[in-house]
Amino acid sequence: MAEFAVVEPATVDEVLDLLARYGEEAKPVAGGTWLALVLRQGLLWPSLLVSLRRVSGLAGITVDEVGNLRLGAMTRLRSIETSPLVWERLPVVAETYREVANVRVRYQATVGGNLCDADYASDPPALLTALDARVIAVSQRRWRAIPVRDFILGHYQTVLEPDELVTEVVVPALPPDAGAVYVKYRTRSHEDRPCIGVAAVVVPDAEGRLARAEVVVGAVAERPQRLPEVLDAVRGRALDDASIGEVAERYAAGIDPLSDLRGSAWYRSEMIRVFVERALRAARERAQWEGRQP
Amino acid sequence: MIDAVERVTGRIRFSQDASLPGMLHAAAVRSVVPHGRIARVDTAAALEVPGVVAVVTGEDLRRLPGLRPVYGPQIEDQPVVALDRVRYVGDIVALVAAETPRAAQEAAALVTVEYEELPAVFDPLDALEPGAPLLHELEPERPHEGTALYFGIRPQFGTNCCNLFRIRRGDVARGFAEADLVLEETFRTPAIQHVAMEPHAALALWEDGRLTVWSGTQTPFNTRQILAGIFGLPVERVRVVVPPMGGSYGCKVFPRIEPQAALLAYVTGRPVKFVLRRDEEFVTLTRHATVVTIRLGLKRDGRITAREVRAYWNTGAYADCGPDVARKGGFGIVGPYRIPNVAVDSRCVYTNLPPAGAFRGYAVTQATWASESMMDLAADALGLDPLEFRLRNLLRDGETFATGETLHDVHFAECLERAAAAIGWEGPQRRELGDGRVRAKGLAVVMKGMTTPSRSEAKVGVDRSGQVTVYSSTVELGQGARTVLAQLAAEALGVPYQQVRVVDPDTDRTPFDNRTTSSRSTYMMGNAVRQAALALRERLLLAAAQRLEVEPADLELVDGNVRVAGAPASALTFGQLVEATGQEELVEHGEFRNQGGLDPDTGQGIASSHWHQGAGAVEVEVDTRTGKVTILHAHASVYAGQVVNWHTAELQNLGCIVFGVGSALFEELVYDQGQLVNPNLSDYLIPSFLDLPERMTHDLIERPGAEIHGLGETALPPIPAAVGNAVARAIGARVTELPLTPERVLRAIRARDGERG
Repeated sequence: MAEFAVVEPATVDEVLDLLARYGEEAKPVAGGTWLALVLRQGLLWPSLLVSLRRVSGLAGITVDEVGNLRLGAMTRLRSIETSPLVWERLPVVAETYREVANVRVRYQATVGGNLCDADYASDPPALLTALDARVIAVSQRRWRAIPVRDFILGHYQTVLEPDELVTEVVVPALPPDAGAVYVKYRTRSHEDRPCIGVAAVVVPDAEGRLARAEVVVGAVAERPQRLPEVLDAVRGRALDDASIGEVAERYAAGIDPLSDLRGSAWYRSEMIRVFVERALRAARERAQWEGRQP
Repeated sequence: MIDAVERVTGRIRFSQDASLPGMLHAAAVRSVVPHGRIARVDTAAALEVPGVVAVVTGEDLRRLPGLRPVYGPQIEDQPVVALDRVRYVGDIVALVAAETPRAAQEAAALVTVEYEELPAVFDPLDALEPGAPLLHELEPERPHEGTALYFGIRPQFGTNCCNLFRIRRGDVARGFAEADLVLEETFRTPAIQHVAMEPHAALALWEDGRLTVWSGTQTPFNTRQILAGIFGLPVERVRVVVPPMGGSYGCKVFPRIEPQAALLAYVTGRPVKFVLRRDEEFVTLTRHATVVTIRLGLKRDGRITAREVRAYWNTGAYADCGPDVARKGGFGIVGPYRIPNVAVDSRCVYTNLPPAGAFRGYAVTQATWASESMMDLAADALGLDPLEFRLRNLLRDGETFATGETLHDVHFAECLERAAAAIGWEGPQRRELGDGRVRAKGLAVVMKGMTTPSRSEAKVGVDRSGQVTVYSSTVELGQGARTVLAQLAAEALGVPYQQVRVVDPDTDRTPFDNRTTSSRSTYMMGNAVRQAALALRERLLLAAAQRLEVEPADLELVDGNVRVAGAPASALTFGQLVEATGQEELVEHGEFRNQGGLDPDTGQGIASSHWHQGAGAVEVEVDTRTGKVTILHAHASVYAGQVVNWHTAELQNLGCIVFGVGSALFEELVYDQGQLVNPNLSDYLIPSFLDLPERMTHDLIERPGAEIHGLGETALPPIPAAVGNAVARAIGARVTELPLTPERVLRAIRARDGERG
């Protein structure tokens, strides 16, 4: 493991000051579940670890005036899965974080750290992309809100600059009649990372057709996969088995998956078809269609 | 269990916790190429690291006078540090000793090694092709390298085969000629790792020309002998002490880090501790990957006329106990069936992969995967219920196994029938649940031998305070050995077992035992302890009889006292009786042996003095759209003869099922050109609680008056095979390779559909 110093600042300003001064040499540490692995494997060599453990104001779950769910970057995954507020506002968020790794990891890992790892084999990025969540990043230079779908660039790469710190993840509310799910599929142990994870959101219109559909496939490529042209094509249509099948087919054909120990590219293509379909069916079950026959 | 509280509260002292003043810490420099000649090792930068005391290379080792630089339990083929060649990614090229673990690791990373790469071979069949790169130049008469120490090993000189074990019984050609139907199939299993919670850890100390090693090892006496061999010492000048272990499952059978720790201690003159990192565990020992081809001759009525087996055990770069694994697998693969004509060629093959050796189930999991899958294929081909087909062919009491030995106390059919009943077996059926989900059941039988011949000795003593002590070299790996040995001594002496002390194995102090393997301890050591305790009981009775002036037959032992039966007032404590002899402690000795052995060229003789017998049965659900297998119910029936401790016996059965689930569904070491791709617990997964079958049940079958039968491994081998048979039933196609990953199952489904289309 590399030689590094560890500092434990108390405020966000102190963190930003350190990040501004040390740049690439510094690495913020949230839960450390991912960082400890890559440090041990010698994949990163920071000279300064900036622990966020003592920084006040970075953890917490709130709902703002417009109904957004705001998750502090240092909120532990376990806190989300056990939060009555999250279960009340956006149960799919609690359900998804509940599926990550195992309970021991979830007590340690954080919302912000998980996104910043940008590990392709992760559950929350696909859901947060489908929910159109934004990442709040601050530095001494600026404040910005980055949509999660733009945040992750590729393998372990984000748009974050070395002097920026993620402070919050903001998840917009869904219309009350929407149906949202995240379906995680593991090929090995229950504690494994996903072979594939599909987030699906469907919002019915007044006629019982699709006002909005979101399908994001995680863990099959270096970043969450979303095919806007496919989603555009089903908008305004009834969410029947035929249109679900069509979306599943086109996602399977339109994504070029990777191979790893959890499944080959061939297998993943097959599973995209199966799980896009299953996710959309489950989302359809959850949405409110009463009295709105197309 | 005797040390349950200490284990759960973390107070127990493992070998990882052992320490001595002035102790140094070891780290290994490991090869990054699968096969190569060492051109140059540069240790200059490593020696500059503050705290580094020594860096030892193969060249240094060669220059040390009087040392034998290679070792091995069955073939002396493994250098303590690579001498001129490396043979796998992970092979030890140099050793570092430093004041702190961190300095040692840092220095190890700074040692640079230049290799001239050699052609490498990874598959056992490729390794046997003419012209394949040879891992070792085994020669019959070379004194130091390539010596087959173990009787009956048959290396095929000039090839990578380090042992060929054969069975020849009857005439297979005639058997196949008589058959109505001949089936042939090839089955594969991957290498997997033990993932014991505690890694390998050893501490070595030289004092006045004597070597003491504290090590978590299942083989204190083998380790003592091998260390003595390396350092040219009489065995009496080597002492091995074994603290309790945090699991092993076979990975601590035979020396693995003790020679290295001892070498560093020898060179530095200071105590040296060597603890492996988790990623090093993964390249230190694995379970043999296998390729097994079975040919089966069948009569229409379900009789088996002939069985021919070609088995290949990928033992990696060093033989370790692979030759014996190929032997035990060689007879295990025949299965407990009545087959007049049998021919087995079982080959242990070197490749440029991490060494493979003992693993819970010891060859029989791989053997059962092949042989019990084949039994289902045969039942299907004959149109018979797999249960009925097995029952017609299973060996019964007094019948003869392929090795020519007559079997007694035989319960295969009973185990199988109970397992089948436990899951509600109703014949070879499948049930469709809609949405592509299918349920089906599968069965498998297991036959596993116990180390034969072998020997266990024990001493049981009682001192002036009345303390009863068991001196035994059976090691405690969490299996509860101390508890059952205490129980057996306590039972004979009429004391509560919690009051019996069982000392840690110490080759200076505790008497000889072959090793803690092969599910032999409760039976072999248990009998030795019982014998010693009964002798001690006699002695106490005699002493009390003299004092009380009664016949020994009128006395009884109750709660650490000897008294006239029914007369508590007459009681003499054990302590009083010891004191009256003028001795500090009265000690009696017990010994138990089993006899036998096989001719390596014909496989005839006594394979096992008694047999571990069991059966597994499972119900699975297969999602045929994804290929994902869910085990709904797993049941194991195990013949126990006589259960000593119900609680730990039950845990052994359940633990075996858990291991079986991992093997069946996802455990697999994946290599890319000899480089392990998943050397960590994030990429190599073992079952978690959420992976266990919704229902896990088991039987322990007892018979009044029967011998104790070991059960630490029996329930494991049938589980993957039963799952494979259930999956084959569910999808109408057979996956012949473990693990049964969703992708393999889906490919099998597609291949089936392709054939039909």
